Amino acid sequence: MQRYAINILFGTAAIVLVALAQAGILDKYVLTVITFMGINCIFAVSLNLVNGHMGEFSCGHGGFMCVGAYVGSLLSVAFFTNSKLFGPALFAPELAHFLFPLVLVGASFAAALFGLIVALPSFHTRDDYLAIITIAANYIIISIVENIDAIGGPRGFSGMKRVVNSMSDAADLPWMLIWTIIGLFVCVMALYRLMTSTYGKGISAVCQNEVAAEIMGVNTNRVKIMAFMVSSGLAGLAGALYAHVYGYVNAQSFNILKSTEGLVMVYLGGMGSISGVLLAAIAFTLLIEGLRFIIPWLNDVLHAANLLPASYELSQVWKWVIIPLILILLMQFRPEGFLGNRELTHVFPRLKRWITFR
Amino acid sequence: MIRVSNLKAAYGKIKALHGISFHVEKGEIVTLIGTNGAGKSTTLKALMRLTPPESPTVTAGDMEFDGVSILGMAAHRIVSDIKMTLVPEGRHIFGNLTVMENLLLASWTRKNENVDKEIHYIFDMFPRLAERARQRSDTLSGGEQQMLSVGRALMTKCSVLLLDEPSMGLAPLIMYDMFRTLKRLNADGLTIIVVEQNARLALQVADRGYVLDTGEIIAEGPAEELLQKPEIKAAYLGG
Repeated sequence: MQRYAINILFGTAAIVLVALAQAGILDKYVLTVITFMGINCIFAVSLNLVNGHMGEFSCGHGGFMCVGAYVGSLLSVAFFTNSKLFGPALFAPELAHFLFPLVLVGASFAAALFGLIVALPSFHTRDDYLAIITIAANYIIISIVENIDAIGGPRGFSGMKRVVNSMSDAADLPWMLIWTIIGLFVCVMALYRLMTSTYGKGISAVCQNEVAAEIMGVNTNRVKIMAFMVSSGLAGLAGALYAHVYGYVNAQSFNILKSTEGLVMVYLGGMGSISGVLLAAIAFTLLIEGLRFIIPWLNDVLHAANLLPASYELSQVWKWVIIPLILILLMQFRPEGFLGNRELTHVFPRLKRWITFR
Repeated sequence: MIRVSNLKAAYGKIKALHGISFHVEKGEIVTLIGTNGAGKSTTLKALMRLTPPESPTVTAGDMEFDGVSILGMAAHRIVSDIKMTLVPEGRHIFGNLTVMENLLLASWTRKNENVDKEIHYIFDMFPRLAERARQRSDTLSGGEQQMLSVGRALMTKCSVLLLDEPSMGLAPLIMYDMFRTLKRLNADGLTIIVVEQNARLALQVADRGYVLDTGEIIAEGPAEELLQKPEIKAAYLGG
């Protein structure tokens, strides 16, 4: 029972959400927010593997999401739609809801491959140097995508909406929500299994003390590169989902700001804590969406109280003042994040009766 | 068993070893003594093939184990194939893990194998560790941490143990204990190479010794002989 708690949790969440959506209780906006929550969870938890569990500092995680988003989009357009770029569809569009996992897997592998390319030179360096290299990689990936005119260049790439629509034509379900929940489930299970395996212990050892790991016989280079590949592959999965939820991708949505969002979620949740980072990703998404309503409200309140000049309107740009401010306050008062590097079951031991993480 | 010939090594442009040669036979305790910066630790790190910049890059010479060159090997293969491991200077234990977890983590290379025998052997050797098995290892005293570091090395089932300054920061009594333990491990069949500042103590335990000075071996011989040599006495043994 405890062992299957995560499976049951995800299963019920999926069924309840889909049922609510079908019954029309959750409107489209709420569903989209929930889907993005899931995507942010995948993105943050994957970054957590490198920055939390392994103790390295990767700053360009958005780049791998970008690779996943583009490769996923291209694959699904090639597979399921008649397009100018790829010609007629490879598979019948009616099969989209069966074969969509192929797209996700392809996108993940492509992103993992890019992860390997970045990891090979960069793991000869450490700490700050890795951070700089990954930022550079982020920029390189975006520049490459922006300079390939065939896939839209700086205009972005679209056509995925048709694939999602053909899924809905086959069966009227909130497909992207379902894929996101499945994706998040696979991602969380994979990371838990990885971190409790012998390999995971090697990752923790590398994080704690590289010299000690080496003299225990850990192949530090291989462990690091593998962890980096898993991490970037899962970011690619998040990217592919993101592209299909929006129905449009643009390289600039995966720039350094996206990578920073990932860092914020990881440090908010607590480095190396999978449950903590999941909570943080949910909280962060809610915060970003919540500010859409809070800022206009604040604007009205401040104007009513005559604290703002009538000519000045508080705009959504203030989001990027408030979010970093939260980060600053967090670093001041709770630098270890929500849960530190502990899991939820360590913070609330009573939960152990219901769920076990390791 | 281990044969180092004309080994030259450097950290970047800084040359640390200027061609040293020594050998270690099975079942021996060999000590490398010398002052700060003589290249003792560098030699061990080079033998262990740790990843640079932690260890120097070898620029010339060779290191052989049973006639096979280990120059091209990485540290993890030295541990798993050659069965040689290092007790590093400054211990490098996993502070946020318990004593037991530290030991279990060190059996990393041997998946799913029963390690009760080794744990028992280590706890028999260091009863203090048995008492503190469930304690976080950063709460241990310096001496206990050194014991844990040695215990962790033994968990890799090594046949050659390299020790880098095992007496550093230990009270004299604990220090003597540590060297008695080394003697006992050696009697159980472990080959030991120990690097020491405390030359007198090391030579009392060792079979043979090498004296290093600024990257070169300036004297070698059976430990008792080195202990008697006037110039060594004057320079390294405090007169």
